[in-house]
Amino acid sequence: MKITHIKFWQLITIALLVILTFSSGYSQRQQWYGAFTYSVSIPSGDTQDFIDEIGWRGIGLDYRYLVNKNVTVGLYFGWNVLHKRSEELTQLETDPPGAVYGVQEKTINAFPIMASAHYYFGERKKIRPYVGLNAGGFYMLQRYEIGIFLYDNDQWQWGIAPEAGFVVPVERDFGLILNGKYNMAFSGENAVGADVNNAYWSVNLGVVWEP
Amino acid sequence: MKKIISRRSIFLFSSIAVLILSTTILQSCYPGEELTYSDTDLVATFYNKDANFATKQTFAMPDSIIRIDDDGNPVIDPGPFDQQILNKIKSELQSLGFTQEAPANADVLVIAAVTTSTWASGGCYYSWWYPGWYPPYPGWCYPVYYTYDIGTILIAMLDGDATEAESGLWVAGINGLLGDSNSSTSSRINQNIEQAFNQSPYLGEGK
Repeated sequence: MKITHIKFWQLITIALLVILTFSSGYSQRQQWYGAFTYSVSIPSGDTQDFIDEIGWRGIGLDYRYLVNKNVTVGLYFGWNVLHKRSEELTQLETDPPGAVYGVQEKTINAFPIMASAHYYFGERKKIRPYVGLNAGGFYMLQRYEIGIFLYDNDQWQWGIAPEAGFVVPVERDFGLILNGKYNMAFSGENAVGADVNNAYWSVNLGVVWEP
Repeated sequence: MKKIISRRSIFLFSSIAVLILSTTILQSCYPGEELTYSDTDLVATFYNKDANFATKQTFAMPDSIIRIDDDGNPVIDPGPFDQQILNKIKSELQSLGFTQEAPANADVLVIAAVTTSTWASGGCYYSWWYPGWYPPYPGWCYPVYYTYDIGTILIAMLDGDATEAESGLWVAGINGLLGDSNSSTSSRINQNIEQAFNQSPYLGEGK
């Protein structure tokens, strides 16, 4: 638990450093986007097998440098929390076979950390749909608790997150951003060590700083 | 120039505000960490897939509960809930259709044990049996990958015809932290023993 918190604060520190770097450097040239979003995550695939509930806790942080008027490259950070508490019977397909009953707490904290590239349609200062690809990976904190037993597996999982969305200008320099990402890890293990490909959709709504 | 600094300030302020807000809203990496004693209860059951429970109609049960120490040795040290545990097990078996018999004639032997110390699972018990209970049983085993802990109640259904130590036909392990009151503990013991039988409907086959 202590180690987990240290890693989280390390992540926040890195994010702050990136903010400072981008804001002091590129802002003066007015060639970047910055976006903060509230993020809702919807588990899919192997992740849905583990937790089949929508995650209402999440944030996203995007920094995008304008290469030309239609293309940006940048960085994407996020934090999505998936959690399910249940009291249920789980059949064990083991030898000998069996079943286990108890209160179960399943949690995944996914921290996507990725490089990104986006292409924007239309013109600046107007509603602009865009598509993009984020590539990098996820730091996954995964935990499965049942009764007095706890299984923990924290690891880096490589992956990508294709994305599509809209940027809607509101004021001269501010706008709204709405996008959807399909976050998928190429490989990895779940909380109990079995091979999985974690995946979840994220719907992100927030503000964009658009110089 | 002034405008750029102003934008930058707003951007920085927004960024830091979102980060602070996120730590406040998200608070913990692990929601739902507040657990009650009963939240820690766990009922695990395992059965021998080759067992034919339809042929098991009668059971025998000793009138005491064995405590198992760190070395796996039996300790005779009656506890306050022993009789309750035995009565509840007997009641559940009879509800499933089993009838009680003398040990020598019973199809299955049902024993209950309570662990008094933390110990890792794995292996069989050969060298002990209930003192003075005839016939002596050759021993019994339990699933090797399941870790029992302090206060675990083990219920094992053993084949009455076994001639050597073998895995139980059915083994239940009930884990949980000790409660804050006797009435709460008593209630949880009954609930969890009942759950162990409820999640093992195959025990009632053919009865």
